[in-house]
Amino acid sequence: MSVYLDAQIPEHSVASTQPPSVEPTPLPTPSPSPRPDSPQWTTKALTNTILKSHGRPPWYGEDGHAISQAFVIGIAGGSSSGKTHVARQIVRALGSIPTVVIMSQDSFYKRHSPEEIAQAFACRFDFDHPDSIDMDLFAACLADLKNLQQTNVPVYSFKEHQRLEETKYLYGATIIIAEGIMALHEPSLRELYDLKIFVQADSDLMLARRITRDVLERGRSVEGILEQYLRYVKPSYDNFVAPSSRHADIIVPGKDNSVAIELISTHIRRQLEQRSRQFRRKMAANLKRSLSQGPARKPSLEELDITILDQTPQLKGIYTVLRDRTASRQDFIFFVDRLATLVIEKAMEKLPYVDKKIVTPVGVETTGKVLGAESVCGVSILRSGGPLEQGLQRVINDVAIGSLLVQSDSKTGEPALFLVRLPVCVRERHRAVNTWVFLLDAQIGTGAAAFMAIRVLLDHGVRASHIIFVTFLVARGGGIAHLRQTFPEVRIVTGAVDDGLREVWLENQLHDTSYGADDGFDRSEQHKAWVVEPGMGQIGDRYYLD
Amino acid sequence: MASGAQLSSTSVNATKASPTLPASVYTLPQTTQLEALYTIIRDKDTSRGDFIFYSDRIIRLLVEEGLNHLPVVPKTVETPTGVQYDGVGFEGKICGVSILRAGEAMEQGLREVCRSVRIGKILIQRDEETTLPKLFYSKLPQDIAKRYVLLLDPMLATGGSAMKAVEVIMDHGVPEDRIIFINLISAPEGLKNFCTRYPALKVITGWIDEGLNDRAYIIPGLGDFGERRYCS
Repeated sequence: MSVYLDAQIPEHSVASTQPPSVEPTPLPTPSPSPRPDSPQWTTKALTNTILKSHGRPPWYGEDGHAISQAFVIGIAGGSSSGKTHVARQIVRALGSIPTVVIMSQDSFYKRHSPEEIAQAFACRFDFDHPDSIDMDLFAACLADLKNLQQTNVPVYSFKEHQRLEETKYLYGATIIIAEGIMALHEPSLRELYDLKIFVQADSDLMLARRITRDVLERGRSVEGILEQYLRYVKPSYDNFVAPSSRHADIIVPGKDNSVAIELISTHIRRQLEQRSRQFRRKMAANLKRSLSQGPARKPSLEELDITILDQTPQLKGIYTVLRDRTASRQDFIFFVDRLATLVIEKAMEKLPYVDKKIVTPVGVETTGKVLGAESVCGVSILRSGGPLEQGLQRVINDVAIGSLLVQSDSKTGEPALFLVRLPVCVRERHRAVNTWVFLLDAQIGTGAAAFMAIRVLLDHGVRASHIIFVTFLVARGGGIAHLRQTFPEVRIVTGAVDDGLREVWLENQLHDTSYGADDGFDRSEQHKAWVVEPGMGQIGDRYYLD
Repeated sequence: MASGAQLSSTSVNATKASPTLPASVYTLPQTTQLEALYTIIRDKDTSRGDFIFYSDRIIRLLVEEGLNHLPVVPKTVETPTGVQYDGVGFEGKICGVSILRAGEAMEQGLREVCRSVRIGKILIQRDEETTLPKLFYSKLPQDIAKRYVLLLDPMLATGGSAMKAVEVIMDHGVPEDRIIFINLISAPEGLKNFCTRYPALKVITGWIDEGLNDRAYIIPGLGDFGERRYCS
């Protein structure tokens, strides 16, 4: 079963409408994309739900770097040859791939002048010529996704015959399918493909499909369709599209192609399995090493280089309430909010400040300081990053707070990314490089969720030195040492450091507060998990549920 | 106060501002970040919304610091993971007393840190005939004598009204060393006056400014706190 990450992966393609003269939809059936029927995939429906379907497994090694690029497939073929159908069939046949995005060439029509728009409305604009496509942008967006970075794809309106101001944000696909009549024509695109497919169909079949579609769906006359076909579509096919088939790795028939689809998907699956095997070998060894070291090799606080709040009497009192298993929910929430404000205030000291001259109401000029960051936002790792949000809101007015949902697989203990909802200042790369991010999670145990969240931010272009991880508890014997070593520039601010991280068995304990597994482990069946000791228990549960 | 409770005499968090300051004065750590907060509330062009938001941030930090001077007692609890944790419990009842009207501006910050704390009020104004501060109104918790008192007034200029307020509170039976005076900005002259008269009373201040101008306004200061918070 494949799951599309909500919000960032469009249902089947980036373009939602089709141009009048280009790119028919061979199968006008509604959304044959393999969106799963279960589980319910909106945050609203997540009440007490353990997500069992596939999230995005780690895509980086223990050194924090990506292990492989995304797998990119280019599909070209004549108009109405069945490219989209082939793309969807591949996605369906692949089954358990976490995230696939199909990018359509249609999104990349160039911005038009008023004259061109007039021509387009008069059906006198050649949408079938390679020059009508912004190939540079197409290649840039594809390269971003291939390199596992976010991209913002243009949105083209066929109603207005113009590129719109808005863009579509995409991030986190394992497989990218680029489809369009010119997908194999452009050398810069061809360089990006791991697999090149050409969909071959007879000209009369393509024309027949085209006439049927345009008459039925767009109410156009047969004469008009034919005129356009002969003027633009056919010459374009003969001159540009058909010749590009020689670049293809495989040529797929435009109909009755189930054997070809099976061959292709088997090939892709094998490629991906090879990559993930290589990855697991690395990660498994590392996880064991970093977690089983035990008390013998706990790093000193100096080695860890983390900022810890001054252990004042009040702070100790707050922690005593929060650690007390008999604390009431009311007290727990109040003191978590109070503590969150203190930790965030401490973290604010990590931001850059510059001089500023001001005049006071008394009429005196004086030089003070002002925040020297272009933008600051929060990103909380759900669910237990949530208890830090109130603190952040008390400290930065109207702060944007994004979220990441990271859950751990109950069998492998491997984290998986289920939801990415980032503030606008991180979504766009040119802004992300100048953005400071407070990354929020209640505790760092194994560090697996923190590791993944940091990687997501780095993928978006946020600088490691601009990431301030804010938390209530760090387990000294846990993944913190590895995290520190991998991302030395990330700052970590915590209220307390606990000594222990212990492996325990958890059994069907959806709401059990007896254990402090706060790395989002799936708890629907018996499995091993790590708890921080003495710890504060399951902070998310105590704050939201108990 | 429960016997056995100890008044924590020093706080890790607070820094002594300068050797010339009275021993009972504590300032917040003078970080760049804190300076940036003060820059916002000092700026005459700052909107009222921002003034409220950022002065609240400073007030919370001040109250947190003030509370660190209250006693705590050892307390052992069991954590949800079943481990004993040797922590501390809060000890002693507290209340706030705000000097009207600007002191009221500090109440929300106090309540965000001390849930549903009792708050007394005192109105002191300058007597036009004597030019001395005069008590016009006070409404204090009945059991104030048994409580630690956080006295709230954002600006310590000459210290006249604060000293009058302390006089009123002590008249209600509160010992001097159970009062903690919390303010955002102090003038060195006022601090000296105040601490000479009440040496056992702790003063938590966010920032110590240059001094007073001829109209007894703190400079650089931030103008009239109450006016900016409520009216401008």
